[in-house]
Amino acid sequence: MNNSNWLIRREFWENRAIWMIPAVFGGLLLLAALFGQVSIPRLTSPQESEQAASAFLVVVGAMFYLVMGVYSTWYLLDCLYTDRKDRSILFWKSLPISDATTVLCKLLVGMVIIPLVYFAAADATALIAAFILSIRARASIGGSLWNGDVWWQVQVLWMYAIVTTAVWYLPVAGWLMLVSAWAKRAVMLWAVLPPLLLYILERVFFGTRTVGHIIMRRLTGLPAVSFNGSKYNWTHDGGVVDNAGSVTPSVWHLINPSGFFTSAETWIGVAVGIVLIVAAIQLRMRRSEI
Amino acid sequence: MAALIEARDLTKKYGAHVALDRANLKVEAGRIVGLIGPNGAGKTSALRAILGLTNYEGQLTVLGREPFRERTALMNECCFIADVAVLPSWLRVDDAIDFVAGVHPRFRRDRATAFLAKTQITGKRRMRELSKGMKTQVHLALTMAIDAKLLVLDEPTLGLDILARRAFYDALVNDYMDETRTILITTHQVEEVENLLTDIVFIDKGRIVLDTSLEDVATRFAAVAVTADRLDAARAEKPFYERHILGKVVLYFENADPDKLEGFGEIHTPSVSDLFVAKLSGGAA
Repeated sequence: MNNSNWLIRREFWENRAIWMIPAVFGGLLLLAALFGQVSIPRLTSPQESEQAASAFLVVVGAMFYLVMGVYSTWYLLDCLYTDRKDRSILFWKSLPISDATTVLCKLLVGMVIIPLVYFAAADATALIAAFILSIRARASIGGSLWNGDVWWQVQVLWMYAIVTTAVWYLPVAGWLMLVSAWAKRAVMLWAVLPPLLLYILERVFFGTRTVGHIIMRRLTGLPAVSFNGSKYNWTHDGGVVDNAGSVTPSVWHLINPSGFFTSAETWIGVAVGIVLIVAAIQLRMRRSEI
Repeated sequence: MAALIEARDLTKKYGAHVALDRANLKVEAGRIVGLIGPNGAGKTSALRAILGLTNYEGQLTVLGREPFRERTALMNECCFIADVAVLPSWLRVDDAIDFVAGVHPRFRRDRATAFLAKTQITGKRRMRELSKGMKTQVHLALTMAIDAKLLVLDEPTLGLDILARRAFYDALVNDYMDETRTILITTHQVEEVENLLTDIVFIDKGRIVLDTSLEDVATRFAAVAVTADRLDAARAEKPFYERHILGKVVLYFENADPDKLEGFGEIHTPSVSDLFVAKLSGGAA
């Protein structure tokens, strides 16, 4: 446990981008909020203002989520490679820390800690931007961005997204780490080429697209599994209708944890992810240098 | 007492290349052992196996453990410096000390800071800002502050100037070494470590060609500067190596009768570097 704390701290020393990218990105968004064009239609009803607040928070969050996805991918692909490249792995391996601990800590940083940092940055940015925008566009939006209930729901949405993302993308993370522990150079190429080659070979020899479907489903299928599409009917103006009639829409209508955590797809992915991570640990034990 | 390091038929193959070929080795506690061999002889492979950085065939125990399976536990009692300065460029000196202090139960911070206080290195510096020699000094400070039973040094003073090298070896012998410790050291600068070693191990083409204490070298080996008229008689005693210098011929003998050698010329105990050259080119002579 103690070692894990030090290993995680170490990742922050090495990868200052973990907090610098979200900080810079948040800063740019705030500059846009300060000096950009603000044209928001006058909001009249409380329902409209609630929609404006949630749209605003979701858009800010989604932008951070996308940047996070790119950075985490890069981080996981790089994390078991750089210290082999600069040979500093020989220093880390001279310390009584197991390779399993090292690999799992890096996985934790890539799949949980980096998302949490981005989540905090998104919240801070949204808070300050809401403040700036409500002053600049006082006349039109008034206090619409300050809806405590909506804020609270967005926190739930973020936490849910972090958990489901970590679970759903575990096989992808496992693959990236395996490549990172294995490749002698060009990690990016090695991460992309084998799946691509499998896809092409399957197309050429069998004329089918199973591999492509599996990969695309894994990369883009998370929303379909983790969010609610069918249980409630969404009306065209953003309301929700369930069997009992119209209800107030909330995050609880959106997320679908019971569906996500009972889906076979989720757990097949977890199983594949575990296999890949175990393989990455085994490689880490054997490959010290490039 | 059981040997600190014991290797039996230790073999390491990289594809078709055999880096270690059924090597046998025994290192007792409290010794300073020099592992000496030409480039590509298997020195590094042997050290990697001993430190649990690679898997291998054959039997190997270090401090009673199997290195590859139990590297983590082994590193609690053993530490090493690999052949080049390998501290990561982004690491600050202070952070490095904090980190090792945090994860290593036998690390003594006061010793590391005392060692660094004697240098020009300040805590806020990152490794990339330090010269190669300074990096090595940081690494040595970190490693020598660990109360390890076994210290493995692979070309530890590479890139250090002569003053720093001398200071390092003095510190190693005076401050660090005591009867509870064992040091395994490889270097290609044999002359530099000759005086502090208690044992030498020669390795060539993946095999251990000599494993002896320095006390035994004196009784086991003799170099005789033979005068020209006695050359044929001396050669009959089967020297394993002949060296021609300045018109003289020096013959190297192993386990020869000293009484017989006396008549051939001046006898002396070969230095480690001479013995190394003699042993490794012996087959060709």
